[in-house]
Amino acid sequence: MEKETPLLEMRDIVKVYPDGTKALKGVDIQVYTGEILGLLGENGAGKTTLMKILFGMLKPTKGTILLNGKETSFKSPADALASGIGMVHQHFTLVEVFNALENIILGREGHGLLSRINVDNARKKLQSLMDELNFQVPLDVPVENLPVGIQQRIEILKMLYRDIDLLILDEPTAVLTPIEVKELFAVLKKLKSQGKTIIFISHKLNEVMEITDRVTVIRRGKVIGTVQTKDATPQLLARMMVGRDVVLRIEKPPKEPGEAILHVEDLWVKGDRGEDAVRGISFDVRAGEIFGIAGVEGNGQSELIEAITGLRKVEKGKIQVGDMDVTGKNPRDLYEIGIAHIPEDRTHMGLILEMTVMENAILGMHWWKEFSRAGVLMNWKQVENHTKLLVEEFDINSPGARAPVKSLSGGNQQKLIVAREVSKKPELIVAAQPTRGVDVASTEYIRNYLVKLRNEGKAVLLVSADLDEVLQLSDRMAIMYEGQFMGVVDPTKVTEEQIGLMMGGVKA
Amino acid sequence: MNVSDELRSYWKPLSESVLAIMIGALVGAVVLWLSGYDAVAAYRALLQGSFGSMGNMAETLSKSTPLILTAITFAIGARTGLFNIGAEGAVYFGAIAAVAATQTLQDPVSGILSGLFVGALWMLPAAVLKVYRGVHEVISTIMLNWIAFFIASWLALSALANPQNQNSTVPIPPGARLPLLVQNSTLSLAFVISVIAAIIVYVVMWHTKLGYELRTSGQNPRAAEYGGINPRIAMVWSFLIGGMTAGLAGAVQVMGIPPSYSISQGLANVYGYGFDGIGVSLVGRNHPLGIIFAGILFGALNAGATQMQQTGVPLEMVKVIEGIIIVAVAVPGLLDLFTKLFRRGGP
Repeated sequence: MEKETPLLEMRDIVKVYPDGTKALKGVDIQVYTGEILGLLGENGAGKTTLMKILFGMLKPTKGTILLNGKETSFKSPADALASGIGMVHQHFTLVEVFNALENIILGREGHGLLSRINVDNARKKLQSLMDELNFQVPLDVPVENLPVGIQQRIEILKMLYRDIDLLILDEPTAVLTPIEVKELFAVLKKLKSQGKTIIFISHKLNEVMEITDRVTVIRRGKVIGTVQTKDATPQLLARMMVGRDVVLRIEKPPKEPGEAILHVEDLWVKGDRGEDAVRGISFDVRAGEIFGIAGVEGNGQSELIEAITGLRKVEKGKIQVGDMDVTGKNPRDLYEIGIAHIPEDRTHMGLILEMTVMENAILGMHWWKEFSRAGVLMNWKQVENHTKLLVEEFDINSPGARAPVKSLSGGNQQKLIVAREVSKKPELIVAAQPTRGVDVASTEYIRNYLVKLRNEGKAVLLVSADLDEVLQLSDRMAIMYEGQFMGVVDPTKVTEEQIGLMMGGVKA
Repeated sequence: MNVSDELRSYWKPLSESVLAIMIGALVGAVVLWLSGYDAVAAYRALLQGSFGSMGNMAETLSKSTPLILTAITFAIGARTGLFNIGAEGAVYFGAIAAVAATQTLQDPVSGILSGLFVGALWMLPAAVLKVYRGVHEVISTIMLNWIAFFIASWLALSALANPQNQNSTVPIPPGARLPLLVQNSTLSLAFVISVIAAIIVYVVMWHTKLGYELRTSGQNPRAAEYGGINPRIAMVWSFLIGGMTAGLAGAVQVMGIPPSYSISQGLANVYGYGFDGIGVSLVGRNHPLGIIFAGILFGALNAGATQMQQTGVPLEMVKVIEGIIIVAVAVPGLLDLFTKLFRRGGP
């Protein structure tokens, strides 16, 4: 296999961003026809930058791209598509009000403003493509009404419709449920059997182990090595990826929980469309325990969290912290009472991307006396010191307290949020998707920190779409389905099958 | 993490604005040349008229005064996520309030305070409509500007009418006028007041808790709410502070400009500053300190225009140059584009 000419080769790719960041420091990769190549690396390692260069979205500072042994360069995604390279981004690029058919033929059929689009022909062609792959999507429903997994399939079909040979998938499983991941992998195997070549970008070890033929590991803008997947182990890949052994298991000593810190009783909350998103949930989170909530996303978890943290109106029911009724209190009051909130949406809620690291480090505690001078002016010096302490304690890779927070990688941004929330000295920590889109090392750090808070006697409410995370961290866990708990179970005793059933709406 | 870092963060917007000003001047020259005028002579006259003598410089600063204040109104709005173009109406009412208050109280402080207060008051309807009914501030403020215009005109013609002079309101009494800084000019203490106002607004926006909350709300309302900030309250503050500086602009415009010290017929001497302030704010990058310099630039263009006119160039040409500068500033990433072009040696 190594002897043949690679379908695609990237040689000595260097990318220096205008601000001087060296994203890639001379990367070489080869992809052979008909294989699935895993591109593994932490967030900020340069995987996405490399693929954006390949797809013509970024210009490399240096380096060459060879397609079938011939040097080439893509000035735009259209260029790359014309050469048979397609990419499905982490964030989809679908027109939400269009249906699948319209999205797929967009920009493909009908050249010239007034030319007629032969919809029937396109539909036939698409149908035969789907039959061939045994891979169906509803063609006539606006994509905004479809689940994320189906939207992703539409993205893939959009690429296949353009007759591409090489498909790049950027973190394709980040938004999928476990079942959707299985279905995606079936499709990828099918594509492979038809001779398509796939580059699979991920930082999830088990997925890379399962689906790829070879894995190229990138760390800090350099290729660390390429291995045959069958010769690799998750431990080996983890070591290559982070440069040290990652403890994939979380150490969690047994602990007897104390009194209930959070008490939720018959809680009803409406969603954005006025539907009953949370339907009569009751539970306690006790001091010194992690209470996990698992479930397929969109089953009311976000609304539940927002109600508890004061961001959404409670329709009915009661929320208590300690002995105090906090139903209907605003976020500021709740912070004062001792709640901290790691929000699920890092960039739209947890941080103000345009502002500096230190300005972000005090959000939700900016009224504290220690950050003000004479009660009127902000004491930025003090804020900066506080930020430096957080950066040091949480090992956040930051160019400086006064640098814009958007210059931090996703994992470091998330660590900053965790650091900030913990520094509020809370009794209850509400952590929603605390490690989503976060690299392995930061994930491990954050998970261990949540356990540490638990060991110190804090109450932790964890909501995560990552089932492994809930299983590993929780002392007790609930599975949420259509606004209700299907059951509260002991994560050490529950079986995968039981969880699967509850996620699918069968009460335990 | 020292002063130089902070200075560096100003470098990019500053260089972008300077570039835009140069482009404005250059394109203006081309337009002059195409129209058959002597561009060099026109620019020389423009410079002469704005900075050529002590008197001309005083005129420049005097003309920049209301622009600085109304630009701040727009800037505070922009920093809070609002497109507040209601400065115009607040200017009229600031002027009316200053004239009215000083008639009985006879001292400049009363004029200033009533300008601040009434300006803020006038922004309340727009704020309430925005916060409670979700009315977009562009719609509400632009309509309120007209309401302000006619109410102010009516007050000027009735309650504040000058029995001795049909062309203006009663003047500000001598004891309540702002002292001139340069004799035989129109430069008064008003300019100093506008600079102090800009500095105060800078301190409020970047060095107080209120400013932090306003900026957070403007950049990311959801994050603000999450952080325990009520973005609606922030918006109300933004309208009120903006109304204060605009009202102040109106007040000092009548309290500091000889010889009339009154509002002219048709509100002519307080008209248009609210809108011109938007451009000044954009060139000053919505930053109070940048606005001081942008205001002086626009003041200079306005002051020099009269002298430029003597070379045969129409007065409106200055507006053309101002317009080009604003468009050039508004083009995002203009500087990025240029640096890229220079580095690559071509697109």
